[in-house]
Amino acid sequence: MTFRKPWASPLFPVSRRDFLITAVILLCAVGLCFILWLAGSIDGFAAPVFVLAVLLISRLTRGYLYGSISVILGVIFVNFIFTYPYWAFDFHNPGYPLTFFTLLMISLITSTLTAQAKRQAQLLAENEREKMRANLLRSVSHDIRTPLTSIVGSTSAVLENPGLSEREQRELLENAREEAQWLIRVVENLLSITRMGDAQARIAKEPEPAEEVLGTAAQKFRRRFPQVSVTVSAPEELLMVPMDPILIEQVLANLLENAAVHGRAANIALLLEAEEDFAKITVRDDGRGISRDELDHLFDGRLKSRRPADGDGKRNMGLGLSVCRAIVLAHGGSIAARNLLRGAELSFRLPTAVPALQEVST
Amino acid sequence: MNIREKILVVEDEKGIAQFIAAVLDGQGYETIQARTGAEGLSMISSHCPDLVILDLGLPDMDGLDILRQLRSWSSLPVVVVSARSHERDKVTALDQGADDYLTKPFGTAELLARVRTAIRHTRTASGNDEIAQKGTYSVGELVIDYNKHQVLVRGENVKLTLSEFRIVALLGKHAGKVLTYDAIIKELWGPRAGSGNQILRVNMANIRRKIERNPAEPEYLFTEVGVGYRLAEGE
Repeated sequence: MTFRKPWASPLFPVSRRDFLITAVILLCAVGLCFILWLAGSIDGFAAPVFVLAVLLISRLTRGYLYGSISVILGVIFVNFIFTYPYWAFDFHNPGYPLTFFTLLMISLITSTLTAQAKRQAQLLAENEREKMRANLLRSVSHDIRTPLTSIVGSTSAVLENPGLSEREQRELLENAREEAQWLIRVVENLLSITRMGDAQARIAKEPEPAEEVLGTAAQKFRRRFPQVSVTVSAPEELLMVPMDPILIEQVLANLLENAAVHGRAANIALLLEAEEDFAKITVRDDGRGISRDELDHLFDGRLKSRRPADGDGKRNMGLGLSVCRAIVLAHGGSIAARNLLRGAELSFRLPTAVPALQEVST
Repeated sequence: MNIREKILVVEDEKGIAQFIAAVLDGQGYETIQARTGAEGLSMISSHCPDLVILDLGLPDMDGLDILRQLRSWSSLPVVVVSARSHERDKVTALDQGADDYLTKPFGTAELLARVRTAIRHTRTASGNDEIAQKGTYSVGELVIDYNKHQVLVRGENVKLTLSEFRIVALLGKHAGKVLTYDAIIKELWGPRAGSGNQILRVNMANIRRKIERNPAEPEYLFTEVGVGYRLAEGE
């Protein structure tokens, strides 16, 4: 929601920015006409110049106020200054009501179209958010139902079949544990989403040494996937990055797990690099890469879980990666994925500089 | 026969309490359980346990209140258990005297490591056997010499500044335990050091560059994201 001052109606909002735009464009129009007038070839050209001015003002300002003002001023300028008799009003010509009417209509229609376009953009953004939520729910229900079925099934099998061999029992229990761990990760991603809230402003960013978050994420990952090797490299100079470290740790956990489970990587490199205004964090693996159609929908939560012959269909990576994207975007950063000759590379950038608006107090 | 350490588990979820008890029993600890905060407090005074595992989300009382009451008369080691989404609670609990924390969901290895460390630290006044006896703390190839005020890594003397040494020394005294950023800052720079922890974070980055082979993959000085630092503990 945009904040509105109580005395400004939505149809005729008052703002300093719009006032400046109106003043500048009108001055330009007057200046141009004045030059033409000095050159002695003003007749017939003043009106189109002001039509353009009114059009621009109506397009660039909010509401109908500034467009209407520019119509009135435009008619006065055209009539009073730039049409014979110069420096005098002349309302005898039947064309003038028409000029006024034309300008007014242009202004009103343009303002209306502008407002409509803005509303449409807003609706589109809301739609997008709604879609993301729906995708998320769908993805989550799937991510939860499958492992739950497996856990209930495995434990019931152990409890209800006393005749099972110790090895069979163990396998079933291990299966249940693995599924439960998967569920934990799903829930952690959901927690990250609630932690972010809806608005970007709610993220509590503090400058954190980025290398510490990378190191901790790698350490936790090793505990869970001891068979996968991870190396971390960070620049010699300490890089402090404003972030919510818990959320960024979640992003790293998701990307690392994705490389191990989906990419089937044996080696993962976690890199931290300093760019001009960004910190770039890259997760590079030597796994089997990302397929063409996955690459297109990697971060939008629309990724269908795959049920191919290799049988790891339940490992839906859609949720984890769309959470990554949401977290990175909420930090004002960007995320991207690409295939390498061997394996895949997912990287995200986080802004390192404090936004200029916050630094310069006005 | 050894005297078994007695551990009180204050946890309202039966499933979790039973699992914790089963793991600890399996390792030779004696466990008793309380389902509410009130019951927990009364069992602490009647059973005199060696360690308390305290869930912060109890139905009848705030876990932090229990901790506060307990700390008014006892220095009994307490390991708090909290959900991941409550980072603040964790830090508050540590700053109010909890010895360590476990985040739900936790595994058995983590549980046992925290319990072992917390119990070990109560045995000697200085917090560490080795420091009390020899004036050094060593883990892996790292040696902190408290008498000579120096730190050796892989046999070489590391040139630390005074602040850097004091940070390492403090973590060494509490090796294995997490110390919050605030706790370290208060201990080293006094209670009026201000609220920012940037100096500490930068100091730690410098220490890691001097001690660790790869500062981004520490072997000794670990970060608990959002909470504080922990020095590795030898087994």
